[in-house]
Order: sequence, then C-alpha cells, then structure tokens
Amino acid sequence: MSHKWGLVVDLDRCTGCEACVVACHSENNIPTAGEDQAARGRTIQWIRVERTWEGDFPNPKVRFQPVLCQQCDAAPCEPVCPTYASYHTEEGLNGQVYNRCIGTRFCANACPYTVRSFNFFNPKWEKPLNLQLNPDVSVRSVGIMEKCTFCVQRIKSAEIQAKAERRELKDGEFTTACAQSCASKALVFGDLNDPNSEVARMANSDRATKLLGDLGTKPNVTYLERGNWQDGTNS
Amino acid sequence: MDLRKGLLIGVGVTGFAVLAAFAFPTQVASSSATDDYVTSGVFTPAHPSVVDAFEDFLEIHPEHPAQPIAYTHKIHLLNGMQCVTCHVGVDQGPEAQIPNVTVCMTCHIAIDTDNSEIKKIAAYQARGEAIPWMRVYDYSDSAHVRFNHAPHIRAGVDCVQCHGDMTKQTTAERKVNLNMGYCVECHKQKQVSIDCATCHY
Amino acid sequence: MERRNFLKISALTGVAATLDACHAPDKQLIRFVQEEYLVPGIATIKPGICTLCSAGCGLEVRVMQGDAEVVRNGQTGIIKMGLAKKLEGNPRSPVNKGKLCARGQAGLQVLYNPDRITHPIKRTGARGSGEFQEISWDDAIKEISSHLSTLQTSKSTNVLAFLARPLRGQRRELIEKFLKSFGAPHAVWYEPFDEAVLRQANLLSFGHAALPTLNLGQADYVISFGADFLGTWNSPVSQSIGYGVMRQGWAGRRAKFVQVESRMSQTGANADEWIACRPGTEGALALGIAHVILSEKLTPHATASRTGAQIAGWAAGLPEYAPQEVEKQTGVSATVITRLAHEIARSGSATAFIGGAPLAQTNGLFNALAVNALESLVDTNHETGPILSFTPDVPTNVAVKPDPSQSGLASLAALAKSTPQMLLLYDANPIYSAPAATKIREAIAKIPYIVSFGSFIDETSAQADLILPDNAPLEQWLDGEPESGSTQAFVSVAPPAVAPLHNTRPMTDVLLGLAHQLGGEVAKALLWTSFDAMLKAAFIPLRTHAGSINAKTDDEFWPAVQKDGGWVGASTGVSPAAQAHSGAAPSKTASDVKREPEFAGSASDFPFYFQPYVSPSLGDGSTANLPWMQELPDVLTTAMWSSWVEINQKTGTRLGIQQGDLVEIQSAQGSLRVPAVLSPGIAPDLVAMPTGQGHEDFGRFASERGANPLAILAPVTEESTGSLAWAATRVKITRVGGPEQAKLVLFSGGLSGFPHEEESR
Repeated sequence: MSHKWGLVVDLDRCTGCEACVVACHSENNIPTAGEDQAARGRTIQWIRVERTWEGDFPNPKVRFQPVLCQQCDAAPCEPVCPTYASYHTEEGLNGQVYNRCIGTRFCANACPYTVRSFNFFNPKWEKPLNLQLNPDVSVRSVGIMEKCTFCVQRIKSAEIQAKAERRELKDGEFTTACAQSCASKALVFGDLNDPNSEVARMANSDRATKLLGDLGTKPNVTYLERGNWQDGTNS
Repeated sequence: MDLRKGLLIGVGVTGFAVLAAFAFPTQVASSSATDDYVTSGVFTPAHPSVVDAFEDFLEIHPEHPAQPIAYTHKIHLLNGMQCVTCHVGVDQGPEAQIPNVTVCMTCHIAIDTDNSEIKKIAAYQARGEAIPWMRVYDYSDSAHVRFNHAPHIRAGVDCVQCHGDMTKQTTAERKVNLNMGYCVECHKQKQVSIDCATCHY
Repeated sequence: MERRNFLKISALTGVAATLDACHAPDKQLIRFVQEEYLVPGIATIKPGICTLCSAGCGLEVRVMQGDAEVVRNGQTGIIKMGLAKKLEGNPRSPVNKGKLCARGQAGLQVLYNPDRITHPIKRTGARGSGEFQEISWDDAIKEISSHLSTLQTSKSTNVLAFLARPLRGQRRELIEKFLKSFGAPHAVWYEPFDEAVLRQANLLSFGHAALPTLNLGQADYVISFGADFLGTWNSPVSQSIGYGVMRQGWAGRRAKFVQVESRMSQTGANADEWIACRPGTEGALALGIAHVILSEKLTPHATASRTGAQIAGWAAGLPEYAPQEVEKQTGVSATVITRLAHEIARSGSATAFIGGAPLAQTNGLFNALAVNALESLVDTNHETGPILSFTPDVPTNVAVKPDPSQSGLASLAALAKSTPQMLLLYDANPIYSAPAATKIREAIAKIPYIVSFGSFIDETSAQADLILPDNAPLEQWLDGEPESGSTQAFVSVAPPAVAPLHNTRPMTDVLLGLAHQLGGEVAKALLWTSFDAMLKAAFIPLRTHAGSINAKTDDEFWPAVQKDGGWVGASTGVSPAAQAHSGAAPSKTASDVKREPEFAGSASDFPFYFQPYVSPSLGDGSTANLPWMQELPDVLTTAMWSSWVEINQKTGTRLGIQQGDLVEIQSAQGSLRVPAVLSPGIAPDLVAMPTGQGHEDFGRFASERGANPLAILAPVTEESTGSLAWAATRVKITRVGGPEQAKLVLFSGGLSGFPHEEESR
C-alpha cells in the first residue's frame, strides 16, 4: 500500500510556543538571515506561527496558527514552475528539487499560503555552527526556493529501514521534527492512507477544516478548530 | 586580418582575462561539503569560485586525483580482502567509510614494512595524523543529491558497477561516469522509483 | 579560421588558463587521526540533560560523524569526530516525556557557538578591557591553585566566594563540599528570576519549599494568576504536555482555562477567558473568589484549614473580600468574580496557581498565600489526586536540595557586604541581570582576584582575571534533580554526548583536581578523581530502591542509569492528596504579611507600572547569544533581533506614540530607549518589556542590541525573602523618535503593522 503523508494541526492544543519552528530550523539546515536581512523580510521559516488579534483591552483575544507547506494535492505552485522543480511526488508530497530550481519564484507567487522561502544569498554559518548541519539534508545555495518537505529525509530513512527489515512501516515509527518536539501534541504526522493511523482518524474529526480550503488546493494538512467553553458542558 | 575577427579575439581575450581575475578562489577549497560559503554582501554566487562553477557545469572531475599514499587496490584485493573489510558501513548507511590509518597499520605494522609507502603510513600514525585522502567519487553540492549506499548494497548492486573493477586499479580512479543518466538507467532497469524525491532532497 | 574552431579554441584556452590546481593536498589543513570510531552516516542517539532553563528536561542527542576544525597542541587541523546534530526530548524523562521546547532545541548552538572561549586565558589589560592572553591548562591550574593556597595558609579562607547559577544535585554538592571543607561560606546561588517567594509561600501553605508540579491533564478548570506556564514559568514542557491533554485528550471533556494578568503573555493568549487585574492585587482577587465559595458554601466539604490559616479572616469567611470590595481593589467586576467562583466550584477538578509578576511585588508573599488558599479550597478531587502537588523526594541523598530561605538577590547583597578576596564565577551574570541600583558591579570590581569557569565572556566574566573555560553541557557529565514537573521521584544523569571540541575542561573535574592539590580537609571531603566517579558513588545506593531500573549488581545498574538518562522512583504508595499536604505544619503563620502592593516611584511622576517579562527565546538574557533565538519571532509581536516595549493602543494614541516609534522609558533609577509596539493586550497604565537584550558584552549575536529592562528596576524587595520585586517599579514614557531611529525588526518585514494590519507574510 502506498503512503500518503499528512499532518494534523490541533488549534486547541497549540500554545504558540514555537518549539516546532526551532526544531525545523535545527533538522533542515535552515540558515539564519541576521538582523539586516530579517528586516528586509528574508528570513526563512518553513513553519511559522501566525497570530491573529481580535478585540481590545480588557477583552483581547489571540489565536495561534502554525502555518507550513500544505502539501496540496492540487498545488498551485506546481504548474507554474518552468523547470519542474516543484512537482508532486509518488507519495503525495509537494517535492522541491533544488538542483532544478532556477529561482524564478513563480511558485512563491502562486502559493496562497506564502509558505515558500527564497534564498536571496548563500547561507552562512559562522564556524563552528556549521558542525550542527544535518548531513541527511541538502544545504541550499543562493537562488533556490525551499519549503517544508514533511521531513522527507526522515520519511526516506524510515522507508529504507523498513525495506531492509522486510516489513511495512508502522504508524508512529517516525515523525517530523516539528511534531516530535510539540509538547502539547498539537502536531500529529502520519500516513493518511493507513485507516488506523492517528492522523487519519484525527483528519476525520468533526473539528476538521482546511486552510483556505475553498481555493481548491486540496491540502494534506488538516486543522482542527479550537474548542469553546460552554457553561457547564464541554465541547 | 579582418577587423571583425580582431575585435572578436580582443573581446574574447579581455573577457577571459577579467574572468580569470575572479577565478582564483578567495578561500582554500576544503573537503567538507557543508563548509560555510563566503557571503560578501549583495552578490553571492552559487559556487565559491568561477573555476568551481566551470568544473561543475562541464562535469569536470579529477579522473585520477593524486593521493598522498600510492595505495594499490589491486594488490589488496588479490590478497583476498573484500571491499567491505575497509569500507565499513556501506551496507548500513549512506556512506562508505575510508579506513582510518590505524586500520592500515593493524596489518602493516608487520607486513611489507620496508616499502617506502608503508613507511609514510607509519609516519602519519606516529605524528597522530590521519592520511589526507583525496575524494574520488562525489556529487557536486549544486546537485543537491543524497546518495545512500545501503539500499543499493542490500539490493545486490555490486561495488564494481559504479566504482569500476578495482582489481585493475591502484589508487582509485573515477572509471564510471556517475551522471544522473547512469543512475536513472539502472533504476529503470531494476524497476525502482525514479521519482525525483528518491534522491534529491 | 572558422568561427566554430575559433570559439572552441578560445574557450579551451580561457578555461585552461583559469583552471587552477586548487585541489592539491598541500593547501588543505592537516587531518588529525580519529579518536572515536563512528560509522559515517549512521546516527547514534545519546541521552543528555538540557541546561537552558531550570526545568531540567531530559534530552536525546543525535550524534553523527563529521569533520570538525579543531586546534590540538596549538596546531589547527581537521578531525573526524562525533557531532551533535539534533536534540529531542528524552521519552524516558517523566518531566518532558520526549518533548522539547524552543530554547531546548537551541542547546546545539551553545555547544557550537563561535563565541565560546576555546582555551584558558589570563587577563593582560585592565579589567573589562577584553585583553586576554592564552595560557596553558597547567599554568592556569598553577595560578588558581597558588591563589587558593595563599588563602589557606593565611587562614583567611572565609574570604573565598563562589557565585553560580542555582544548581541541584551533585554539582551543587561538589561546590558546597569544596567551600565548606575549605572554610569558605556557602556559595552564592543567583539568578534574576528565582522563585524564592513562591517557595516560601508553598512552605507555609503546603509544607514544601518547592515549585509545584501540575498534573494539568486531569484538570477541568485551571485558573492561573500571572503564571506563564506554557512559556517560561516553572516546568513549561511538562505543563504544556498536560495542557494538550486537558484540552483535547479526553473525549467529551475539555478543561476551561482562565488567565489573570495585566499583560497578555503567550500563555494568556491561549486562555478561554482572560482577566485583566490591577498589578499586585491578584491575591485579593483569589480571596474574592474564595469568599464567594465560602459564603455560599459552594464546596461543602473543603475548608482548606491549613492554607486558610495563613490568611487572616479566613475562618470568618473573609469578610473583607466581598466581591464589591475586591472589585474596587482589582478592577475586576463583582459579577465576574461571582461567576468564576460558581464555575470553579461546579467543575470536576480545579486548580489555582500563581507565578510571574504577581509574586514579584512587595506583597508577593501575600498574593501567593492567597492563591494557595484558593487552590486548597478547590483542588479536592481525591479520585485522581490533587492537580497541584510536589515532586516526591528521591529516597537516598543523591540529590542535594537548595536552602530556600534566601533569595538570590539577598545572597548577592550579602556577597557585596562581605568583601571577599577571591571570587569563583560559574554561569552567573549579576552585572547584567541584577538592577544597577544594587551596585553589584562596583562590589565585584573591588574583589582582588576573580576566576571564571564559564564558556563565554559576558558582563560579569569580562571582569575575570583568569578564565578556565568549561566544557559545553553536552560535552560533560551532568546530573540534576528536577524540582518540579514530575509526579514521580526522578534524578537525571548523562555522560558526555560528544567529545570536547575545544581545549576546555569541565568545571567539575577542575574543582576536584584543585581539591586534590590543596590537600588536607578539602582533599578528604572530595575523594574522587573525576566527576563521573562522584556521580557513580551517589547513584549506586538507588539500586536497592524500587524504581525504573532493576539490576542485580552495581556494575549492571550504573550503565543502565546512564543509558536511560536517569532513575525514576516507583510510586511511594502515599496518596497524592496526603503527600501534597504532608509537610510539617508551619511554626508561624504569615499573619503580618503585606497585603497591598507598593510601587517605587510616585504615580504622578511615573504614571506607568513597568513589567519586565521573561522572554520565551532569550530567557533572562543567558540565551541571547544563540542566533536561532534572536531570529525566532516573538509569537505575539513577531519582533526579532530587537527589544521593544508594549504599550496599550489607546495609551499610545494619547501620548502620540505610533507603532515602531522610539520611546524613552524612565524610572527613578535610570532610563532606556526602545521601539514601541502598540498592543490591545495590555492595561492602559502598564508597559511591558521582554528581558534578554541590552547586553554590552556577550558575543557577536547579543552584544549592543536592544536594551535591558532589569537595569532600571528599583531595588524594591519582598520583605520576608529579600527577593527582588521586579514588577514593582513605576516609569514614565516619552516619545523621542520615529521608526527610522527605533529600527524594530518584525517578522513580516520592516515595520509592517501589528496588530490590525494584514500580515504580509
């Protein structure tokens, strides 16, 4: 049975701690832009935590929402890439082939979630910070678009291991860096094609919703709506 | 001589001279693929030098890089050693290890100790230095490819297929042109995935 | 000639002319022979302990082989060694259960920080000039040894001082044993946000001088008074795990979460109901709720007599805290107070706890006692046990607990008064984090000889005469006993995950070595030659106690403890309720505790309350030198690489301050200038600023960036503990410039709007 990778983001559990953001940076060799480039909006964040404010003091409300590549089934970023660098993999991921990318940035333009980041300059790690770099992940050079890959290196590694041991991959055997770090378990990753997987079950929850779902992108990231306090009963 | 030809030659030579001025790398090329690049400001090229860019584009690899020790694969293999005796880990993970100087010395502390090359190895060990082998097989950083040995070994791919017949080589030579076409052909034959994300991530 | 040939020839000539033999071996650095044998490309997972905050979470370190540039015997070269690539939580730790927070993930950047001190150095220029020169370890040890011996022979050993960040476990034991046998006073354990007030309150209320463990997964109602429990307070990962469960971990059951604070924190942003309460009146609010519960007999059985005894008037039903009265004090309406009381009493299991700014007031102890009394009144579900309890003690004396009676600030004051002759410094930075008004900078300047064991130059270690740099936490044997976060007894230990990168040595081994050299009582007290031997001796007695490791022999036990990253005690059989309130009854009640808060600075001169808050990324300033933390956007404002002050939007308009303007914040102690961020989540008469920036000397990522709010705090304290009341300073605000001068960096790029403009990213 082929896999279809998906992620569930439970907005009722997300606390806005941003552990996922740093875990992703650490796992995926994401460069630090520095103050000047950050002021120009050139930081790279494969996952970010959005916050929306409503209301005024003394009744302000904040909602946190982690946003990452939605790995859309009908990804708007794929048809616009002139070199087929942004394409759909066999396992339902939106893949980014770095060596094909020539930096037209049409994909970032097309993405309604603004989850794609461009390398405006060569990444620099002042020694010995470079020793932390993950050898399982490419180091992207200037002119390349990048985005969340659902930790494809971990997916590949787990698949190879399962094949070596001549068995099927089990749900929960591995997970993405962000989901692994998330203390409140707001992020759950797994195989949507496995009906017994946690992610498949949660994606069918009655709180399930898709981000900008009406655009028809068919994301593989499912958001579970925040709960409400009902006086006396819980929902 | 024609004026047009003369102009063309003049421009060509000037152009190359200008490029040559930028050709020499601003820092020593180092063997680690994850070394920090030079970020000098607004213009940051993808390659550390023009030389590197040319070599990458034209797929120029040193065919037979000069090694610090004139190691002969031929002799060792003919004496009954296997590839995996020294290149440990090739069936477990992505990389095939180049053995440590202590591995060499386990035998060569006694075998062929008069040989000048063996003496050099002993000298490296005495100095506490590892032998600075030159990489023969690699992919350029710009290929952004993650090659994993283990699945290939487990699938029964022989070392000879990609690395050539080492019983005919002394120091390693890049006998097989490991361009993407080579990989894809074999993948197609063995009916293994040629999805881009299989190797490029 | 033909054009095609011409082009081919010139191309070849051009390329050949520029091709450089730049791959010749002699241009490369020499390669040192490997000292460890790892299969390349395969990861090994090793246990570790996170040291980036005091929660003491367990780590799993992913170690892989790689090339590192190192210096060996003065020569630079490359060596293949195990490198730490990724940190995860240790699934076997009962505190963090496999999870890790943002700061914890950045622990790798401490290990591989470019500003680490890489070898021993000795001061050559004037103090603070930054002029140091490399010396060998032998010479460095000789020098510190001779200074210590001089003190010994002159019999003036009581003038040796040791200033360190609070530790628990064998590292604390080692330092205290060294000092005691040397004849020196106790170590000065200092960190700016110590929790002396809460520990004192918990001692009086519950008999445990410790931070509480919150089993939030069992809660139906949580009311937090100022505690940033999902971000920076107490044991955030453990609490976040429980939070996730209490929200969506039970089918058909979801807890309500109420946060009471004056400035919306990251934690408060998750609340179902956010209650803005006047600063310093949180205790009164808690008693207002308790009044309603008591007077309407909403919880028929509970009376909370022990904790209630701490509050004057409790037995009489708190007549002074009727909702209308409390409304006047706190600004929270009587209707809300009554409603909350009813909600809490109706819920299955409720908890109330306090942390952060309400404790950092002159009446902090009162606020804590009040909330503790409310907690006892409502946290009475005996089926699953109380939500608030205390981590059980470890059965043997493997871990040494701190003496809770004195706050860090009081200890610092004692240090300043005592005029030590020699100061040993370890991971404490009071020159940065203690208010300037404490004059600790001047006191330290007077000390004739200062040795630092830290890994970095910071404001305090820059004053050192000699620096013996410590190994990074992942490079050395560590242990710890988390104070809270676990409902089971737990001690952690971890061997080094990676070999030392630089020419550094662990402080623990250096201290043991010095003990040997000094001989006499000191050598007798510290028999071990290395710290791991000391750890082993301390852990082995645990083998015979019921716990997570079953081993028949000591030789089986010790490697097993290391592999797990620690030892977890089996449940003691004492009911959680009994255990939570099992401490000895207090010998006195806190009846004369200050009830009303007092603030430094008159309201007319300084119209705003000033609330510094612990930054979730930079902490108290000690993680400001980690680039990932500088670039992590603040989750509420999206600011990066910056300091800022949060001002209520309407207040901003009134004062003519716009988003991103440069403002001056002035207290009676000093002033600073930072960009303004207008926020709807803050009271109109309060301004708040994150801690962590404003370093003058802390490496390339942290220095000369932003401002340090701790510097302008008034030296006001909570009386009983001497703890700094860091939320009790008043300030005034003036606009002094526009956005171009303020240079606030927001994630959305430049000065894009917050909070009402569309996010552009």
